[in-house]
Amino acid sequence: MNSMRVEHHPVLGDLENQKEIKIYFDGQEYTAHEGDTIASALLASGIRTLRLHEDKATPRGIYCNIGHCFECRVRVNGKNTVRACLTPVENHMQIESGTPLSASFIKGGTL
Amino acid sequence: MNEESTVVCRCEEITLKEIQGTIEKFNCSSREVKLRTRAGMGSCGGRTCRSTIDRLVEQMGGPVISNEVPLSYRPPVRPVSFGILGGAKE
Amino acid sequence: MIDLVVVGAGPAGLGAAIAAAEHGLQVCVVDEFVKPGGRLLGQLHEEPDGKWVNGIEEAQKLYSRAIELGVNILCGVSVYDLQKVDHGWCVYTTDEMIESKCLLLATGASETPIPIPGWTLPGVMSIGAAQVMGNVHRVKPGEKAIIIGVNVLSVAIARELQLCGVHVESILLPQPGILAGDAAQPEKMMESLLRLSHLAPSPLIRMGGKWVSPKLGARLFPKNGFKMWGIPIQLRKTALEIYGENQVEGVRIAEVSASGDVLPGTEKTVSADFVCIAGGLTPMSELASVAGCSFCYVPELGGHVPLHNEFMQTNLAGLYVAGNITGVESAKVARAQGKVAGLSVARVLKALTYGGNEKLHSAVEEVKETRKNALIQFQPGIEEARRELYGKFDETHKKTLISI
Repeated sequence: MNSMRVEHHPVLGDLENQKEIKIYFDGQEYTAHEGDTIASALLASGIRTLRLHEDKATPRGIYCNIGHCFECRVRVNGKNTVRACLTPVENHMQIESGTPLSASFIKGGTL
Repeated sequence: MNEESTVVCRCEEITLKEIQGTIEKFNCSSREVKLRTRAGMGSCGGRTCRSTIDRLVEQMGGPVISNEVPLSYRPPVRPVSFGILGGAKE
Repeated sequence: MIDLVVVGAGPAGLGAAIAAAEHGLQVCVVDEFVKPGGRLLGQLHEEPDGKWVNGIEEAQKLYSRAIELGVNILCGVSVYDLQKVDHGWCVYTTDEMIESKCLLLATGASETPIPIPGWTLPGVMSIGAAQVMGNVHRVKPGEKAIIIGVNVLSVAIARELQLCGVHVESILLPQPGILAGDAAQPEKMMESLLRLSHLAPSPLIRMGGKWVSPKLGARLFPKNGFKMWGIPIQLRKTALEIYGENQVEGVRIAEVSASGDVLPGTEKTVSADFVCIAGGLTPMSELASVAGCSFCYVPELGGHVPLHNEFMQTNLAGLYVAGNITGVESAKVARAQGKVAGLSVARVLKALTYGGNEKLHSAVEEVKETRKNALIQFQPGIEEARRELYGKFDETHKKTLISI
């Protein structure tokens, strides 16, 4: 159904009986497989950019994929700094991308 | 794009130029580089860039990498909420 | 207070948990990844006889055995602090605080980055990230890959990405300069690839054919590289910059001389929708450092490792290490080290029954044997470096620890 999924694999075998669920990223609905992490589900849907850097607003996505680098941090059901690469998807999960901080939070900024 | 403008610390977006400049000006250790530039002080706790910073400091005439871990680790080694620190479950 | 907490559910951690639980110890394993197995997950090895070893199956076997023995395995839980308490350790996790008589750190290694212009663009990831995405989550990181960094790990994972249906355009060197260091030197990287040659039959020798012989220098390396499984390995090409508007669109590359200098006028762009950076592995020692362990800087083992002996004891009472935190080696070595650590803990907690000392000593021998037979060695001189490390431990700490 999705060309980014490795449906068949000569050594690992075929993907079978994948149960589909719905997740939301920045309000948009996406289909995920049960057992996906947020990162793998979004990547399978072609989403690469998970946040904009707090200060410089540069786009960022997954880097290490095993929880070391925190580059994939997103907001999940209202909770901040959640690593997309380590967090299993759940049906109706609300995921929000990281956005640049307002000027007052940036080093040297004033309220 | 040249090497100088390469981001070394991804969390804080600190470039090679800033780090090299700091090492040159203050002739300093990895720890001082961290305190002066914030390189290694972001969300990942320096896990990603610390080896690069240590190597830059060594190559630019700083202390040779010894048995001591150059950039010491402090708990918490993962960003956790005050709730978790206070004993709440995630 | 339970007997043993293990941080890391990879081959070392699970190996230790099994060995300890087999001697009746109460064990809890904590891992922040969603599944147990650590870096076993995603590994695919073709053995010399052509049979594939699937790391996911290996991990499942270890996991099932551990569960059968009553080991408590917590996944998706991070450890953020440790404290020495009377007669044991206190482990602070995102789930709960756990107290144990002994603590084993089997946290593995992290990938060493090579900062490259443009490497923060979405679509640039570490080589291990791509491996996990393809083999564990079964999602292709993209359709067309360029891999920056020529080493044992990148070559092995390139093959795995191919099995996932990814087109690997090329494996090449990072831009020469202070950031890449040796990783940009064709001669140094040739040396590292040739390290596989004495371990024949290795896939590199078989597939690389005539170019991978000890006599070949980087100077003779063909301009367009040689192909393994159809993937060009290009020791004379370098990645100057990863470009793209909001995500990876390609890499600007150039040719380099044998000594690693960029040849003017050879620049061109190559399109790709994802880029992997392969800088090798560094033992992940943060928790050992927080615990207050002594460290040793051992380049052969990948960097700073906690000072420990061949029984996997550190200089702190009740604190043990096993697997890649003690030095970067294969999963098989990690598993064998885990067994030693588990038995070592059982010995200290007086759970080793009759013949236990022999068991422990034969487990130590098993580690050496496994190391000797490893198909992939990440660095030369591992055994010698370890002997030296253990010697140093004995000099400084033997008297202060319970003797074995």
